Amino acid sequence: MLKFALRNLFRHKSRTALSLAAVVFGVVRVILSGGFIEDVFFQLRENTIHSRLGHLQIYSAGYYEFGRREPFGHMIEQPAQQMAALEKQPHVAAVMQRLQFSGLLNNGRRGEAPVLAEGVEPDKEARLGSAVTLIAGRGLRNDDEFGVLIGEGVARALRLKPGDNTTLLVTTPEGAFNTLDFEVVGVFRTMSQEYDARAVRVSLPAAQDLLGIDTVHSLVVLLDDTDYTDAVLAALKTRLPSGFEVKPWYELAEFYQNAVALYRRQFAVLQIIVVVLVLLSVANSVNMVVHERTGEYGTLRALGDRRGDVFRLIVIENALLGLAGGVTGVVLGSGLALAISSVGIAMPPPPGMNGGYLAEIRVVPAVLAAAFALGVVATVLAALRPAWRATRAPISEALQQNI
Amino acid sequence: MAIHNAAVLHGMVVMNVVRVENLHKEYQLGQQQVQALRNISLTVRAGEFLAIAGPSGSGKSTLLNIIGCIDTPSSGRLWIDDEDVSGRSPDQLADLRARSIGFIFQTFNLLPVLSAAENVEYPLRHFKELDKAARRARVTHYLEVVGLASFAHHRPNQLSGGQRQRVAIARALATQPRMVLADEPTANLDHKTGEGILALMKEINRGAGTTFIFSTHDPKVIALADRVVEISDGELLV
Repeated sequence: MLKFALRNLFRHKSRTALSLAAVVFGVVRVILSGGFIEDVFFQLRENTIHSRLGHLQIYSAGYYEFGRREPFGHMIEQPAQQMAALEKQPHVAAVMQRLQFSGLLNNGRRGEAPVLAEGVEPDKEARLGSAVTLIAGRGLRNDDEFGVLIGEGVARALRLKPGDNTTLLVTTPEGAFNTLDFEVVGVFRTMSQEYDARAVRVSLPAAQDLLGIDTVHSLVVLLDDTDYTDAVLAALKTRLPSGFEVKPWYELAEFYQNAVALYRRQFAVLQIIVVVLVLLSVANSVNMVVHERTGEYGTLRALGDRRGDVFRLIVIENALLGLAGGVTGVVLGSGLALAISSVGIAMPPPPGMNGGYLAEIRVVPAVLAAAFALGVVATVLAALRPAWRATRAPISEALQQNI
Repeated sequence: MAIHNAAVLHGMVVMNVVRVENLHKEYQLGQQQVQALRNISLTVRAGEFLAIAGPSGSGKSTLLNIIGCIDTPSSGRLWIDDEDVSGRSPDQLADLRARSIGFIFQTFNLLPVLSAAENVEYPLRHFKELDKAARRARVTHYLEVVGLASFAHHRPNQLSGGQRQRVAIARALATQPRMVLADEPTANLDHKTGEGILALMKEINRGAGTTFIFSTHDPKVIALADRVVEISDGELLV
């Protein structure tokens, strides 16, 4: 039976090729559209992590909830001690300290703007911030004692460019005013316009000097792969001494959460349309092939094959076709995805973000499996109705198709 | 009743391979109700070489199809080997066709992906009691009977029309059926080849006693039949 089915497939080369093409294109379509969607999520996720958040953030307990009200009420004391322990964890690529404060930035020409400043460890931040683009000047370096890196919006508002001198005015935790002069070293752009309109970065020692403290707000953990986020999160939760809390990036990224929820629903609708189109085109070609061979099925039944025998033959033939189409489609689809990804698809800036990016088509096992399954299931499903009809048709009528 | 026409089945003497009684067949063709067969009654005995003759559209193919259980009458009854098969299920009829009826078609209807030998063997797949060797032996035997032993591994498209019809005859005989039904077996062949096919069928009928019922409108073919039943406008002419 299997041999007979295979031979039938190989004999009707043009028909088989036609059905096979329908299955293969269907599978490829699902792989490409699914892979593109995966890339949208991937880009959004990595951008979210690499513009600012890192994979995990560690705070002194209470900062996450009450930090807004009491900016200096929950500090990490002796951060160096914690960092040493964290850096020993597997998959941890870097741990960096951050100190946040608000202040007024003055351009020395009667212009000033409120800013959200961060004291950072510049070299480590450079490793994290692959989604941060420098649009003028250079990045902050560890030896930039009095250098400041400013967001694109800040630069525009205060008409600052690299080399300009500025003054940062802050209120210290004790309630005193303090100022420090900085030189603009560069202008940056992240994926969030809103952030770039207010953010400035200085070195951690300068920030601590300005505020008169030696503590930090947070330790940001960068991992070697986003996939290990939950594993490291679980490990940290058990290993960190009490008095600390740890948050993964996805809990910190409200925008990401909302965007993903919306996109998932939107893409699901598009994917349903793709799947329906695949089903229709496969059904169409399978239907045609079965119909063309009505006479042959009539002969088989006249020779004593039961309806079930013929039905099974048709289903087996199409299952084989679906398997072949699925495998071919997965190979072809993955190849195409890799080829397209190597070139990249230029994308305009997403809403609320500054830069465009090069989209890729991700080859994701789950998408490949779904596409393969769709190819096989669609072909078998498509065969059921014509197979039923072929085995119910009166034999004498079916035989007339041979003439 | 002529005893020499009887066959032995299940230890009983069976006289009639086919018996039909008051057969009617109507079908709808567009808006029109067509009376394909009217009140047909006919008996075919074992070992007969019978032609159903009539012009095209007379109903001879319909009658042959009903006898072969690949079409159902609108009314009337049909016995195969003295067993009433009216009202049997499609699967029961399939099993009956597999064991009791061999078909030869006007268009040969060989399975194109199978070799001549495999075509002859195909209907034997329903015969679970035959082992591989027994099947092979039958295939070889019947390919020899039709003179195509050396063409066993040829595919249908490598054979001439006459050779294809010979393969079809071997396929019809392989199950050793109670009767072989042939619907216009020579219509797609030139005269000489057609006569050869008829001669072969007759030889098998004489030699092995196989019952043949064939339809034709060709006077030369009719002339070779032992018995001729004429049909016109769906009615038998007596």
